[in-house]
Formats: sequence, structure tokens, C-alpha cells
Amino acid sequence: MIHHFLRRFVVGLASAAMLSSGFAISASAGVISTEQAAAMAERSDRLDRVSAFLARADVAAELERYGIEPAIAAERAASLSDAELMSLDGRIADVAAGGDVLAVIGIVFVVLLILELVGVTNVFSSI
Amino acid sequence: MQGEALARLALLFCTLAMAGCAATGRPVAAFVEAPVELTATPFFPQERYQCGPAALATVLAASGVPVRADDLVDQVYLPGRQGSLQAELLAATRRHDRIPYVLPPRQTALAEELRAGRPVLVMQNLGVSLLPRWHYAVVVGMEPEGDDYVLRSGTQRRRVTDRSVFLRTWARSDNWALVALRPGELPAGDDPDGYLGALAAAEATGRLAVAAAGYRAALTRWPDNRLARLGLANIAFAEEELAVAEAQYRALLATDPADLVAMNNLAETLALAGRRDEARRMIERALALAGSGHPLTPVLRETAEGLAGDRPTTAQD
Repeated sequence: MIHHFLRRFVVGLASAAMLSSGFAISASAGVISTEQAAAMAERSDRLDRVSAFLARADVAAELERYGIEPAIAAERAASLSDAELMSLDGRIADVAAGGDVLAVIGIVFVVLLILELVGVTNVFSSI
Repeated sequence: MQGEALARLALLFCTLAMAGCAATGRPVAAFVEAPVELTATPFFPQERYQCGPAALATVLAASGVPVRADDLVDQVYLPGRQGSLQAELLAATRRHDRIPYVLPPRQTALAEELRAGRPVLVMQNLGVSLLPRWHYAVVVGMEPEGDDYVLRSGTQRRRVTDRSVFLRTWARSDNWALVALRPGELPAGDDPDGYLGALAAAEATGRLAVAAAGYRAALTRWPDNRLARLGLANIAFAEEELAVAEAQYRALLATDPADLVAMNNLAETLALAGRRDEARRMIERALALAGSGHPLTPVLRETAEGLAGDRPTTAQD
């Protein structure tokens, strides 16, 4: 269910991104558009937040429980698509907003999502 | 003496009242205020299923666009889906020279916009998750402490909805909310990224004057915002005001000499102005800074190849 929802969400975003960059490129060849620059800045902010999350001691411990080196997870996060990075960043923000109990469940969920996105496991396919 | 006792009592009362609100854990400052209701907001009772055109006409008309719901049906209503998509509401808003600004998904952001005098278009799910019934409405008011919301919704000019019900139905759309900003009008909240994103989309769809007004306004509020300055530079380039574009790109490089986007675009500007040697030096410096693995490297190479070739300029491409 969640997996399916995520897929649809990701596909939708990707097509929106393609449409908008199509506009930007045709506007004037050679110049990097403001929209492209905004998307790049946003991506690098997201990546910073995701990397900071992966570096947390409690998160690193959870990752290691699944046999994943936190450094490798961070490296793979850098190769996620914009839409995947966005959904991951959104989940992390939810964890940060939740209380203590939610935080623990949230961390596990985000860690599983990371494993799914970086292709280590397909845990969500069965949900 | 009696006066002093009264004053103390009043002070004590105030303190208790504030503590009472604070204990509920919601942001005190945003809600303990006078009620807001934008009574002058127009109303377009919706036809069957057509809440999208009706809600959009409401916020556009409130921002001074002479438009009615019927005028928008062709732009935002999809008969096959019996509804409207969010992306179409954004596009139609731009078409009427307004900036569709999507609020941060929070109650406080909605309250701030209402206080600034702007009605807020919201997406709700009035059904349940298994049987969703998506709906667009416009929030025009909030009772004191946010206990009730006042909406223009469907066929009701003044629908008063209980806070918890409203928040639940709104949360199902991930708190999607939109205001229509006039050219140069800033959002109420401190959200430069969201606002700049909306401006960049307007620029990308050819609304250059509207986007430029927004970038200038953004720079008055956030003077160091790099995207706003880049936007002004790019619009100047598109309009072939090359001296203006060059000055803005150089201003970006003065505060960050490694800004590859500014270097690339400045190289294009110099080339268009016939200063090809300067342009070539600029792009070579950018390429050296970027190295081979940078996501912008292919773009920089393309610019460099364009400059190396015999094409006079890229202006007419």
C-alpha cells in the first residue's frame, strides 16, 4: 500500500520535473534558468539534511542492525533522484516533528525506507 | 490602593489565561488574537463538481483579477475526472498574472495569510481515505483562538467549520493551501524558498514582468537571496539588457566567486555582447572549478563548446 502510494507519488513528481525543465531549457539555450538553479539548491539542502540524519548515533545504530555502513548509506543517498530524496527528507521532517515514542518508530520506518530506496531490500513490496 | 489591587488581579488573570493556552501546546502568538474575517471576499457558488473553478475565481477576484468561475472552467476543469488538478490551478493563476504561492503546510501559515488580508484556497478530502471526495474551498476567516474556520465552500457563502473537522479534512491533502499574490506582493510568512520557487516557475512559463516584480520585492525583504538576484539577471539576459544582466551576475560572484551558475550565465552574456575572449576565460575558470564530477559540468562544457565554435552568438537560437 505504502509502496504503491510512494511509486505513484514519485512518478508524478518525475513527470512534473521533466515538464518544467523542458520549459526552462527552451527559454534560452545555454543559460541556466532560475528554476533549474532553485531545484539544484533545494536538492543540495535536502541532501545535507538527509546526511545529517544518517550521521545521528541512533540512526547509525539502526542501520548497522541491518548490516549497512552509515557511510555507504550516505553515499547512496547522494545518488537518489530528486523525488526520492524529497520523500525521504519529508519522512525525516515527520520524525523530527513527532514525540519520543513516534521518533523511535519513525527512525525505524525511515531506515527501512532508506534501505528500500538504495536497493538493499524490498521490504515495502510485501506491504 | 484599590486601583493597584485591581491591576494586580488583572495581571494575575492575564498570566493564568496565557498559561491555559500554552498548556495545550499550540503556538500561542498565532491564535490568541482578534477574529479575522475577510467579508469582502467574493463568492461564486459552484456548479456540480466544479469547486476548482469556483475556489480559484474567489482568490483571483479577491486579488483584483476581474474573473468569474465560468471563465475558468475551460482552464482548470477536467470533465473526465469531474474535478481539477492542483497543477492546473497553479498554471491558471499564472495565466492571470498572479503568483500561485503554495503555503508551508501549517495552520500558522494559513492564519498569517488571513491576517495579511488574503483568502486562502485549500484542498480538503471530505470523504474517507478509501472513498475520497476531494474538494477545494476558500478559507476567509478564523474565529478567536482558531476554534472555527469560515469558508466559501460549494454552495455556501459562509460555511462555519469546527476547527478539528477542518484540520482533519485539510490534513488529508497534506495541508495543501494556495494564495494568489499580486506582482511584487510578498507572502506573510518568512518563506523565501517557497516564494522564490513560485517566482521561478512564473519566469519559466514566460511571465517575466510578474516574476521580475517578485524578485525585486524578495530582495527588499531578503537582501542576500541569491535566487532572487539570479532571477533578475536571467530576465535581463532574456530581454537582452546585457549591461543589467552582467552587473547582477557580477554581484552574485562578488559574494560567492565559485557560483558556477552565475559564471556560466555571465559567459553567455559576455558572448552575446561580443566579448568572446572574456566569455571564454570565464567559462574555462568555471570548468576548472567544477572538475569532472559536478552535475553542472556537462552544461558548462556545452557553453564552452558554443564559445569555441564559429557561431556568432546564441541569441537567435
